[in-house]
Amino acid sequence: MSRKLKANILSISLSLLTTIILTSLLLIIIGKNPITIYGTLISEVFGTGYGLGQALFKATPLIICGLGLALCFQASLFNIGAEGQLNIGAFVMSFVAYNLDDYLGIMVIPVAIAAGFVMSALWGLIPAFLKIKRGVSEVITTIMMNFIALALVNYLLIEFIAVKSTVRTERILDTVFIPKLSDISSVFQGSSANMTFFFAILLAVFMYFIFYKTRYGYEIRSVGLNPTASRYLGVKTNRIILWSFLIGAGITSLVGVNFIFGYKGYYELGFSNNIGFTAIAVTLLAKNNPIGIIFTAFLFGVLDYGGLAVNTLVPKEIMLVFQALVILSILAVDKVVKIYYLKED
Amino acid sequence: MIESILSLTFLAQVLRMFTPYYLGASAANFSERGGVINIAIEGFMIISAFSYAFFTITFGNPFVSLLLTIIVSLLFSLLYALLTIKLKINQIVTGVGFNLLMAGTAKFLIMFFYQSSSNTPNFQPLPGLPFISDIPVIGKAAGDYIIVFGFILIFISQFVLFRTRFGLRLRSVGENPEAAETLGVGVRVYKLYGVLVCGVLSSLGGIWLASNQGSFSDGMIAGRGYIAIAAMIIGKWKPVNIFFACLMFAFFEGLEITLQITGSFLPSQIVQMLPYVITVLVLIGFIGKTRPPAADGVPY
Repeated sequence: MSRKLKANILSISLSLLTTIILTSLLLIIIGKNPITIYGTLISEVFGTGYGLGQALFKATPLIICGLGLALCFQASLFNIGAEGQLNIGAFVMSFVAYNLDDYLGIMVIPVAIAAGFVMSALWGLIPAFLKIKRGVSEVITTIMMNFIALALVNYLLIEFIAVKSTVRTERILDTVFIPKLSDISSVFQGSSANMTFFFAILLAVFMYFIFYKTRYGYEIRSVGLNPTASRYLGVKTNRIILWSFLIGAGITSLVGVNFIFGYKGYYELGFSNNIGFTAIAVTLLAKNNPIGIIFTAFLFGVLDYGGLAVNTLVPKEIMLVFQALVILSILAVDKVVKIYYLKED
Repeated sequence: MIESILSLTFLAQVLRMFTPYYLGASAANFSERGGVINIAIEGFMIISAFSYAFFTITFGNPFVSLLLTIIVSLLFSLLYALLTIKLKINQIVTGVGFNLLMAGTAKFLIMFFYQSSSNTPNFQPLPGLPFISDIPVIGKAAGDYIIVFGFILIFISQFVLFRTRFGLRLRSVGENPEAAETLGVGVRVYKLYGVLVCGVLSSLGGIWLASNQGSFSDGMIAGRGYIAIAAMIIGKWKPVNIFFACLMFAFFEGLEITLQITGSFLPSQIVQMLPYVITVLVLIGFIGKTRPPAADGVPY
């Protein structure tokens, strides 16, 4: 095992430990027993097929969105705009889906996915363009584009598209839904987990292959590490930045598949519930490694559903604090490990 | 519609909306002038608005609560400084983490203390300045301590940044830390000062919003922390320009509220979108080039 890998494992486990200690302290301060709460969480999630299914269901969009972000982050593009990109994409995806499901049948799924993907990618075009042509930081533009996206979707939905007195689009036909995991194994009975989960895993493996086994991945990572040096080595830096941003933003739209084709059958305002931001934490925790993202997204899925499971003991919002502490402690612990274990800096 | 915009009521509305933007934008500016990007202004406002509501409900005295809230915000600022200045962790990522932490903590605590997923009970807002508060229509705005401070802050920021030794050193640290260090300026100390000033000012923004509403509710900051950063960029990191940028955003917010009441040809979501669209247009370069401090966001 290389020293670098050891350091990674060390920092991930240390930061999880830090988070658990900090959250436990918080729980003790407010007069709760942390052991009971962690115990309930674990038995509720891992003790029942339903709980596990729900955790997988919550993890699925985080994996997908995290993969899109990983592509951007690998190229050192801080895309804070996933929330906006995925809402635009999912909105268009559902619009295409319920309008064409009569004509295309099951084939509406790839068509709608393609439409959503392209829209999200185009939404990422503006920050990418500004970054390349004007040198404007993508951080600030993507934050602005988030607000514009949400207001735009809100406007289009409420003024023109929404089903009367709701904030959602029309439902797709029952025949074009993606099968649920409970259709295959009765273990997951009642949970919303669906085949999108396997699709997310496949996508992760594919992205891993691209990142670490192809020339494209090598170029993306080299641009991320040192754009100037990459340019001198003949890498077309701007092209890499543009395509990483577009495809990364496009991938985030696939979050909609889980919700639209796997769960509700329509797009609804607020469906994303800050997935675009939580996925940033998921991706960072995994250090942009696609396989790692599967695990960190699963951890967040467990916390997400686990929050509901322990809600009678402590408000489920404690998990939001837990998630934020995970990201801050991985950042801090990572640096400390770098300084004292790898002797960098 | 024109009559409703040209009224004193509308002016008072704009003055009020201006305050949290300007406090937030000045906060971000002090931090970035020292070379530390803080995109967690939103989070600082959230945690301050919540803390102020909590302290006022618990202790009753608004001025003591104000002081305690600023202390809470300073503690978070110290943590932010520890991560970004001492450990040199990426400032954007830390900011994202802080936003999640502060929003999550506030959500958790309103549920824990008040068994509500959305808001705290109501409390008495900060009392106004004597006499001035009694003037009809604009008195409530013109007699508000924090609003008045917001306007004085334009002169304070301009003076401190450009006419004092502290300001010169802070800017030198944000522009060229190596050169500053060569001249004997404690780079990290000045960065810390910038972050602390940022904590105090953004905290006041959150306090004002909570006091103005007379309660804290989830989502009440509604992206104002981000608009503040946008105003700082449009204002090109200059206090007076930032003033005009904030005034513009406040005008749009006032317009949005007025339009919701009077109804109009422009849908409110489109008006809501305008500040952000304008920011993007500015960034594209329609209003000249913007240039951040040269070492902005670079750890030292």
